[in-house]
Amino acid sequence: MSRKPSSSQNRSTTRQSSQKKPQTRIRTVKLDESSEPPTKKLRPHDKYEPTTEADLAVHKRKVEDVRRWLVEAFEGGPSRKLRKYRRILVLTGPAGTAKTTTLRVLSRELGFEILEWCNGMNDRNANKYVEDLDGYDYGNDLLSCPRRLPRPGVEAIFDKFQSFLTRAMSCSSIFNAGVPTASQLPLSLRASCSAPTQSSYSDNHAGCPQKRQVVLLEDLPNLLHAPTQARFKAVLESLCVTNSSSTPGPPVVIVISDAGLRAEQPDDESWDGGGSGRRWGRSEILDVRSVLGPELLASPYVTRIGFNPIAPTLMTKALQALLAKHFGSQVSGGKPPKEALDVIVETANGDIRSALMALQFACVSSLSGKSQTKNPRNRNGGKSAVAVLEAVTRREQSLVLFHLMGKILYNKRKRDPPISRISAREAAKERELDEKLADPPPLPRWLSHHERKASRVSVEAVVADSPIDSSLFGLYIHQNYTQFCDDIEQCEGVCDGLSWADWVGGNFNTPYAFPTMALSTLHALPTPVPRLGQKVCKPAWFDVRTKELEAWDAVGDVASWLAHVGINSLSGDSLGEDDIAPIGRWTHADIAMEMGGWLRAMGQSGSSVGGLALPSSHRLFSTLPWVSTLMTVGDAIGEHEDMEMHGAPEEDGDVRALHLSKDEEDDGKWWAEVDDIEDVD
Amino acid sequence: MSLWVDRFRPKTLDDLHYHHDLSTRLKALAASEDFPHMLFYGPSGAGKKTRINCTLRQLFGSGVEKLKIDQRVFVSPSRRKLEINLVQSSYHIEITPSEAGSYDRVVVQDLLKEIAQTQQVDLGAKHRFKVVVINEADLLSRDAQAALRRTMEKYMSNLRLILCANSTSRLIAPIRSRCLLVRVAAPTTQEMQVVMEHVAKKMKFDIPPEASLQIAEDAAGNMRKALLVFEALKMQSPDLSGPLHIAKPDWETYCHKVADLIVQEQSPARVMEVRAKFYELLSHCIPPTVILKTVAEKVVQKVDEALKADIMHWAAFYELRMRLGSKKIYHLEAWVVKVMCLYKHFTYNFDMSEFD
Repeated sequence: MSRKPSSSQNRSTTRQSSQKKPQTRIRTVKLDESSEPPTKKLRPHDKYEPTTEADLAVHKRKVEDVRRWLVEAFEGGPSRKLRKYRRILVLTGPAGTAKTTTLRVLSRELGFEILEWCNGMNDRNANKYVEDLDGYDYGNDLLSCPRRLPRPGVEAIFDKFQSFLTRAMSCSSIFNAGVPTASQLPLSLRASCSAPTQSSYSDNHAGCPQKRQVVLLEDLPNLLHAPTQARFKAVLESLCVTNSSSTPGPPVVIVISDAGLRAEQPDDESWDGGGSGRRWGRSEILDVRSVLGPELLASPYVTRIGFNPIAPTLMTKALQALLAKHFGSQVSGGKPPKEALDVIVETANGDIRSALMALQFACVSSLSGKSQTKNPRNRNGGKSAVAVLEAVTRREQSLVLFHLMGKILYNKRKRDPPISRISAREAAKERELDEKLADPPPLPRWLSHHERKASRVSVEAVVADSPIDSSLFGLYIHQNYTQFCDDIEQCEGVCDGLSWADWVGGNFNTPYAFPTMALSTLHALPTPVPRLGQKVCKPAWFDVRTKELEAWDAVGDVASWLAHVGINSLSGDSLGEDDIAPIGRWTHADIAMEMGGWLRAMGQSGSSVGGLALPSSHRLFSTLPWVSTLMTVGDAIGEHEDMEMHGAPEEDGDVRALHLSKDEEDDGKWWAEVDDIEDVD
Repeated sequence: MSLWVDRFRPKTLDDLHYHHDLSTRLKALAASEDFPHMLFYGPSGAGKKTRINCTLRQLFGSGVEKLKIDQRVFVSPSRRKLEINLVQSSYHIEITPSEAGSYDRVVVQDLLKEIAQTQQVDLGAKHRFKVVVINEADLLSRDAQAALRRTMEKYMSNLRLILCANSTSRLIAPIRSRCLLVRVAAPTTQEMQVVMEHVAKKMKFDIPPEASLQIAEDAAGNMRKALLVFEALKMQSPDLSGPLHIAKPDWETYCHKVADLIVQEQSPARVMEVRAKFYELLSHCIPPTVILKTVAEKVVQKVDEALKADIMHWAAFYELRMRLGSKKIYHLEAWVVKVMCLYKHFTYNFDMSEFD
């Protein structure tokens, strides 16, 4: 299928499904009704939690996927045999993309109970824990081998977890027989190492007649601790295996939020020659691979459904619907203006939870500004609310980055002709600034090509003011500099500067990297920079890096597949000769670079080797078609099967980070020339 | 059933199809009492690891083929835990230290010390020492290499090292001087054809000599690549007759097209385009050094004689930066921009002089 039609179709479905209404819980309720006592305002109750699928802001097809899985898990699909394989469902995705909420909504719709595991402690045990603090030091030992330190009355957290699962699997009656719902005090995992736990269950839907159940694991045990992780995997594996023979227990749903990449993370340490070095660097990251392990992930018992950031259109609809619900038929008193909504949606980056928080804040702030709205400066009042909102809700980093990139990339220097749209006041300000700038001393003749006018940008001030670390700064400059150059020589200066700073800085963040990059960029860019309506984009590096890591995982899959095939051929004596297990014979780089053709041929012939099917993930690295059209960097090659599912939202996502709202863009003044926030103050 | 490359890998020194002189020498070495530390080096796909395994078998008998995989945990100085896979028999251990990333020194030190301090327990063993095979030895960090050099002297009584590397240039001199260097050259086209015919005979079919010649020439001395291509072709067209179409790996053709992009146009927009292509290559696990090398070689073919040296110089320059830096794309792109600049200036000047 070609990409074009699918994505356009996609957009249309997005539009269709955009009649959907709000979603996820709002943390605090009663946004501005002063009649409510203040204590009630803050109760952590999910007032606007969606109850039907129509309320969810999730893409319809995602919900459908999850529903189909659940139905198959309960009923076994059309052939009645699928039940055995619908054991573990993994929901992944960034924070605030309604993973858990989707499950809860479906539980209401399909009528099943959710048994949820919670790391925590109840009051009695909490006291005990405080009494014998000496137990604290043994935390890790207790966790790894609970029998070494027999402590009467205290059960290791993992044992509790295990027995919770066993009970959930075997006898649902225990859960129905009224376990005391003690206060839930979720601890941070580290602190709760030795703390006793308590398994709680949510009995929201006790009334439903069928006793269908789903086990929800969201609050996982401390998986960064290697022995715990091993035991966790063993438990999950046993879930798959034991139940395949007898009647299976309730299916298990695991919810994992993606943490995302960080810019300061260096690229692989051993990338140049292969090896498999990158594996260990990731062991600190809690992602679906480290939680489940590659074997389990590849097994037929585990299904993985990835959630995408919520598309702006869907989110807008959801927020509007929520506002309509909240304010009812009231006249628009206290209702945040439409621009505010736009800003909220735009700054939330697809995280609906944070969008709701921001919305609530908007309600509060526009309430305080109510008196203002009555005076003639009505429009300004609305605008100030937007500005305040922007200052508060926009992720601090992106706002700062936005201004920083503007300062650096526009490279304003002394006596630049003022741009046409500038107001008289700002022009005067610029002139005033120019007065203060001293001209640099003239350079000798042989250095005359380095001569520049004095810069209006004070690098010292920029460095001191920005809380952004140099690697992120470098990535942003790298992503965007080409738009601001009109000649290849200028590109050379910028890029060589970046390369130099990265080389000298190496893996360590030196304090000099930031100013070096800023200065070299300013020096190399043309002056004045042509204003062509450039847009600052989020670095494609993040997406590429994610894809690269996935592809390396795929290489790892193929490597372990090769190893298994080798071992099978050792024991399976189909050849009658003693083969050597080919482990270590294949470095990962060899697989990535040389096996492409063979893997594709294998994939096409569809045969299996030694009874083991080729892992399908090999396509992530084995096929590399040349796409001649000029595509945006962040776009994925149409390789993933579910591409059409997240085509549209992702396209929005790439440039979402740094856009200003539409009307400002139309003004041509998309860039914040003057700090709006200052004016408000 | 496994890959032909793995399945028909020779098991003993006698089975080897080429480099017979080397085989006899290895046999003699294995028979003698004082077996040295060894360093096998040569291009990839030449048969280094095959020869190492044959030598081990010659040393200890078929017991070395009883392999098991062990997962060991090492603790780095900063308290991080490293899990390393070890392939071992009762006579030898095989490690790939690059798995440990920058902590390879810890792994090498701990592991060698441990092995060196335990005696061979199997009384029936032919030799008193154990062998440690270190794959990809040229990727060991300087630290690890320095650690290795002390260990090699200290524990000579219990331990022999066999290093395997693509080139000796990245190994420090003290290690090179402590090892017997064994160069495993790439097989010639004829030798590769012999191997392919052997494989075909084992699989009970005939390979037309033209086909094997074409495959061998395409593989350019990489036996592993040749056998992989052979197997893939056999899967696609079982009779192997007619003109064979040996596709270059995708990434290679991709790199060549990137080179075209660079030569065609030199502008900031083109830089963005090339960057997109680089990103695509990187996300398909192609090592950046390989990308740089392949693209540079292709660009050099397309430009004027006067530019070639400069282009290669800058490729080397930015490759060094890439190795020392942390974000590879900066350096790849810096090289591209540099080449574009050179090329543009060159054509500009050239045109001018012609018209003068």
